[in-house]
Amino acid sequence: MAGATSAEARLSGADHARQRRRKRRRAEFLRHLLLAVITFILVAPFYYVFLASLKNSTAIFSYPPSLLPLPLYLGNYEALLWNTGFLRWMFNTLFVAASVTFIKVFMDSMAGYALAKIEMTGKKVIFLAMLILLMVPIGALIVPLWSLVSALGLTDTYLALILPPLANPLGAILMRQFILGLPRDLDNAARLDGLNDFAIYWRIVLPLIKPGLVVLAVIIFTDQFMSFIWPLIATTSDDLQLLTVGVAALRAHGGANYGLWSASAVMSLIPISIFFFVLQRQFLARSLAGALKQ
Amino acid sequence: MTGAVPSRLRLAPFEHRRLARKARLRRELTGWLFLAPYFVCFLVFLVLPVLGTVWWSTRSGSLFSGTKFIGLRNFLELPDVVSAWSSIENTLIFALISVPPILVGALGIALLLAQIRHGGSIYRFLVYFPVLVPGVVAALIWLFLTNVDFGLFNEVIHLFGGKPVIWLGADHALTVLAVLDVWRNVGYWAMFFVAAIIGLPHELYQAAVLDGASAFARFRHLTLPLLRRILFFAVIVSTIWGLQVFDTALVLTNGGPGTATTTVIYRVWLYVFASNNKVGFASAISLVLILAILGLTLVQMRLLRSRRGQD
Repeated sequence: MAGATSAEARLSGADHARQRRRKRRRAEFLRHLLLAVITFILVAPFYYVFLASLKNSTAIFSYPPSLLPLPLYLGNYEALLWNTGFLRWMFNTLFVAASVTFIKVFMDSMAGYALAKIEMTGKKVIFLAMLILLMVPIGALIVPLWSLVSALGLTDTYLALILPPLANPLGAILMRQFILGLPRDLDNAARLDGLNDFAIYWRIVLPLIKPGLVVLAVIIFTDQFMSFIWPLIATTSDDLQLLTVGVAALRAHGGANYGLWSASAVMSLIPISIFFFVLQRQFLARSLAGALKQ
Repeated sequence: MTGAVPSRLRLAPFEHRRLARKARLRRELTGWLFLAPYFVCFLVFLVLPVLGTVWWSTRSGSLFSGTKFIGLRNFLELPDVVSAWSSIENTLIFALISVPPILVGALGIALLLAQIRHGGSIYRFLVYFPVLVPGVVAALIWLFLTNVDFGLFNEVIHLFGGKPVIWLGADHALTVLAVLDVWRNVGYWAMFFVAAIIGLPHELYQAAVLDGASAFARFRHLTLPLLRRILFFAVIVSTIWGLQVFDTALVLTNGGPGTATTTVIYRVWLYVFASNNKVGFASAISLVLILAILGLTLVQMRLLRSRRGQD
């Protein structure tokens, strides 16, 4: 390049553009390559476990591992579904997560409405307390929570699983933010039309923040689906165990059973994968919730 | 409202004041009606337990057979108790070695994702997928990666002719736990950063390109400073999450070998619900954790506010 004559050095406009395009295409290719490698590394563990779940125990331990699950062996899944409480745990998890989500979407949006739209004494203090306690994890509160729940006579009930997660301030903070973002003229106009707060909340605010409600529901549902330490402590009977607790118990009791463990890992991921597939955009927005609450 | 009596449109001052007060009161009441369902839960299941932790931390005994008040003795003894101290140490080391790779990795992935033109959504889907795996299940999956005999890691090492590594031995267990956390969280923060990067002002970058700034210079002098607040937020929040690690440690390593991966919440749980009933001690460590988290939260709130005040 350096030794090029001046005539060549001055590339025509078309050449220049082509060269730039080629450079850009190469950069794009490199980015794709890097991303493909990264995603491969991130996803490979899933395939490895999926593979193991379709092998019998001797095949799991054999070397070199076959990269295709042939011959197909479904014994692990049969053992999981018929010999453990897996289906019951799955039902419990979905039931509790759905209940918490349903209750909390209403509760949080109502609280958000009050915090955003209604002047009331002490509102600032309450909001500040919510912000400060936002990050306190349920795991650090297990002693008082356990004694509280047992004092209320709720140990080993669904209520013990459903009530404590309702206290998380994130949803109300998010909803306040969403509602603050709505145009102010809207509820002024509604008020002039004679609507009271309940009507405004129900007929104007809720429909307008529907996208936010869906994101909130996704956040609550996933957090609930993944929660572990509180369900571990709050329940003792097998009938009330959640998926995470039951799966952890499979690991803790009854010796090493890699086949069963892999099948339970795969099966546990099915419901959340379906939700993720359907509501991809809302799930990805879950990350943004953190930014919104600023 | 519209049905006001036409003969007296003007109200006497005292009437006006009374009506205003009544309206304000009604509005206040409405506000509390809206807030009450959440607020009651907030008080009972969050504020009360936090205060309860303080109360429990001054007591000794067991949850199941009664306790008695012993003042601050739990806190005075805390530094001398090896198990408590090592759990705090483990948790801090865990946070220190997991947070930087999570955020650096996430930022890298986000920069790549923000710049590609096609196929972004499939990468996003796959990168985010590990985020949705419950800790317990993630730990189960990692049992299959770290197994000495047939784990994926050792298979790969074997492929390149290396010697098998005992991944969950005392030397590596905590690191493996941290790497698991990177695997599980990098996608979350990557999506967080992608949104932030896409929202950056385009003109600045065009100007920088015209000025001949290299890609690295643009990253160093534009992206990083512009993302300062976002990055700071991510550091604080991911550290707070790191301090709470429990379920992966329970399922993958059982807190061991020895106490090598026994974290703070793990220790609290052991004190109360496993073998020994040291409820006061458990609460004392919980309180230390809560205070650390509150401290981080306050630092973040303060810094975010002061920055906002500047611009």
